[in-house]
Formats: sequence, structure tokens, C-alpha cells
Amino acid sequence: MSVFDILVKYQSAFTGGLITTFQLALIIWFFGLTLGCLLGSMGAKWTRAIGIPSRIISFSLSGIPILVFLFWLHYPLQSILNVVIDPFITAALTLTIINVFAVSDVIRGVLLDFPAQYVTAGRVCGMTARQILVHIQLPIVLRQTVPVLLIIQVNMLQATLFASLISVPEIFRVAQQINAQIYKPVEIYTALGLVFLAVCLPLNGLALWLKAKYTRDFSEK
Amino acid sequence: MLEGKNLSRSNGGRKIIDNVDVQIEQGEITVIIGPSGSGKTTLLKLLALLDKPDGGSISIDGLEYKFGQTNPSPWPQVTCVFQQLFLWPHLTLLENIKLPQRAKPKIDRRSQRRGTIIDAEIAAEEQAQAAPQPEREYRRLDDLIEIFEMKEFINRYPNEASLGQRQRTALVRALVLQPKYLLLDEITSSLDVEQIAVILTYLKRLSHKGIGVMIITHLLNFAREAADKIIFVDSGQIIETGGREVLDNPQQERVKKFLSVIESAS
Repeated sequence: MSVFDILVKYQSAFTGGLITTFQLALIIWFFGLTLGCLLGSMGAKWTRAIGIPSRIISFSLSGIPILVFLFWLHYPLQSILNVVIDPFITAALTLTIINVFAVSDVIRGVLLDFPAQYVTAGRVCGMTARQILVHIQLPIVLRQTVPVLLIIQVNMLQATLFASLISVPEIFRVAQQINAQIYKPVEIYTALGLVFLAVCLPLNGLALWLKAKYTRDFSEK
Repeated sequence: MLEGKNLSRSNGGRKIIDNVDVQIEQGEITVIIGPSGSGKTTLLKLLALLDKPDGGSISIDGLEYKFGQTNPSPWPQVTCVFQQLFLWPHLTLLENIKLPQRAKPKIDRRSQRRGTIIDAEIAAEEQAQAAPQPEREYRRLDDLIEIFEMKEFINRYPNEASLGQRQRTALVRALVLQPKYLLLDEITSSLDVEQIAVILTYLKRLSHKGIGVMIITHLLNFAREAADKIIFVDSGQIIETGGREVLDNPQQERVKKFLSVIESAS
């Protein structure tokens, strides 16, 4: 049975898994980006109260493997709290937390590094604070952050695979189940790779294109 | 008149500006000279109302500017061009010039400037006013682009332009806003003689139209040609002030020494 045959034969199973993967990814992306932007902006504004603590948490999280963090939230924590939470929600929460801190790190860094002189130049030209924000700060900040944020989101999409290990029926879990039935690991995981390639490659390409288009070398001669 | 009275400003316990009185008159070019680190740029920032003085007051046309309180925006009535230029890197040079124009509120510039324009030009100005405002502004912009020979590089990004080209862009960005007071910090440092002459002519034209210009420069010949008033600053204080005689026949030893060093170097 070829890769193509597997994709056709188990199309509905793969589609179901892919839908779960996308549901998970959409939650992680939406909350990760909105809360991450909020936390990053607040961290840049209130460095001591929010910026430094969030940086410490982010630094600590970056040292913990996603899988360990996911397992810890799924098994020991729920046991300690004596609650049972749907694995889908646990996976969404875990990966959202990681995404929030990754996004906030990027946003905070760019905002803190933003050259105040560009704002001053806008002020002396008579522009209002809102006009400076819309026409100067946001375009520069977005150009610097969007490509990086896109790459982080692609990584988060790939990280949804870990959810299979706490029994979330996403696409990797589906692939495992199909493999348990027909034992064709090479073909099945190649098919899975192709599916991910089809989704991630355009996103990575978009990130690269945005990076090339908008993050030109700004340094002056 | 843009006036600073008893201005003081410290940084880290060191006095950068020490009890300075300065007046920028409309229709005059005031040139500030002095050694590096003497407080010239700090003085410009104070007069541009970008920094709050530790002591003293700043008034525009007799109205004192109250820092930290609600004032009508002093910009771009007072505007400046910094030595570092601060062109926005995501915009082309042309977009850099057009953005503040696009963003500025629709104000009646004629009534704002009437008192500043010499009588002979009012009729011509009013004739030009008959054109719709955007068209008028673009025509003025086109004129400036032509005067400063910027056509060839106007669509480049700041990082693709030379320092001289960026200096001209920053100057035009300020000029199209039609300020009443224009403060310029070393804007001729990377221009060739021909371009400096063009700027000199244009600044004189502006001052004849009633605009108050303040220039910080190290170019003594430029200062000599441009200045109605010269102020020599050192250690945050005004050491000598007057007309061109400050350069030709200085009274203070410190000024004499500075001028002889500059002239022997050039």
C-alpha cells in the first residue's frame, strides 16, 4: 500500500484528525497571539511589575521540554487538584501558555528596542500620539515581529503532535491508530509528513517572504 | 519670538545649560556656535520643547509653554531637524516628507501665518491659496524637491541614500510643514559647497518671509553668510552674542581661541 493509497483509504480518519489538530492550533494561535501581545506590551510598559516576572517565567518554560510540561499538567497536577480535565483542554492550555510567553518575549523585546527618536521626529512634525502609533510605531513593530511570530506559530502547530500522548485524537494520534491496524509505519508517517508539509510549508514560506519584504536592513550608510 | 528665559538643564548632576537667555526672532537667522559638548543641542531641544528645563521658561510669541499641562501643540509651529535626522526607515524619502503633511490637521495656515509674511508676498500667497489645499501643498513639495535637487533619489529608502541626501530630506520634511520657527542642528555637515549654498539661499528666503531660524553649525563661513545674530555657547553658558562681529572681531578670549582653532583646521 503506497503513501497515496493510505491517504485515500484513510482520508476521513486523517481529515478528522486534521480538524482536531486545527481546532487545537486555532485556540493556541488565537489566545497565544492576543494574550502574548497584551502581556508583551504590558511588560514593555511596566518592566519591573510585569516585564521581569514574565521574562523569568518565559526563561524557565524554555528550559522545560513541552512534553514534560504537558504530562505534568495532565497527570500530577490533576491528581493533586483531584480534578479530571478533558485532554484536549489540557493540551490547548499547555501549548497556549507556552505560546503566550514566546509571543510576549518577542513583542516586549521589539517594543523596548524601539528607537524613541522616531517618535520624537513625529512629534516635532506635529503628529498626534495616535498618528505616530498608527503610521510609525505599528508599521515598524509589525514588520519586525510578524515573520518571527509566524515561525513561532508554525512551531506551535507542530507541537500539537504532543497532544497525541495524552490521547487527544489529533492527526498524529490518528496516524498511530491506523498504524496499529495495518502496520505500515514508513508509509503512514510519510503521509503524515506530507500533510504537515502541505500546511507548514506555505506558512513558513509566507514568514520568509514577509521577512525578506519587510525586515530590510534599516542600518544607514 | 521664541524665547527662553533663565534656562537651566542638568544631567546626572552636571549642568548642561546654565541660566541661559535666548531669543529667536521671526525673520532672523540665529546661528549657534561653540565646541562639542557645550550644550548647543540641549539648548535646541529645550527651545523645541522636547526637553523640560530644570529652571526657567520658554514662550512662543509671548505665550509661556507650561510643561505637563494641557497646551495647544507647539509643533510644527516650532519644528526642528536633528543632527541624526531620524528619518523613518520603513518609508521612502518621499513618504517621509509626505507623512506629516498627510497627518496634519486641516488648519487655516493663512490666518496662522498672516502676521509673518511680508506685505509684498501676501497677494501672491493669496493667489496661490486659490488652488485646492492638497494641490497647493504638492506644488510646494515639488518646488522644494526641485530646489534641493532631490528628484533622482526621492523614492529611495533612508538606508539607500547618502547622508547628504538624507539631510536634504529631513530639511524638506520640516520645510513643507511651514513652521514659524525652524531649529536646525548641524544639517550641513555632509553637504557639498553647492548644496550648502542652496540651503543658505533658501534659509535667507525663509527668514525674509518672517520665519525664525536657528542653526547650530561648525561651518564658520556658512555662519558668517547666514547669521543675523550669532551666539557662542560654551559649558552651557552664552559667552558672547552679537552680529557677525562675533566671528570677525570676537571680544571674549574663549571665542577667539575657538575660532582660531577652527580656522587653522580648515
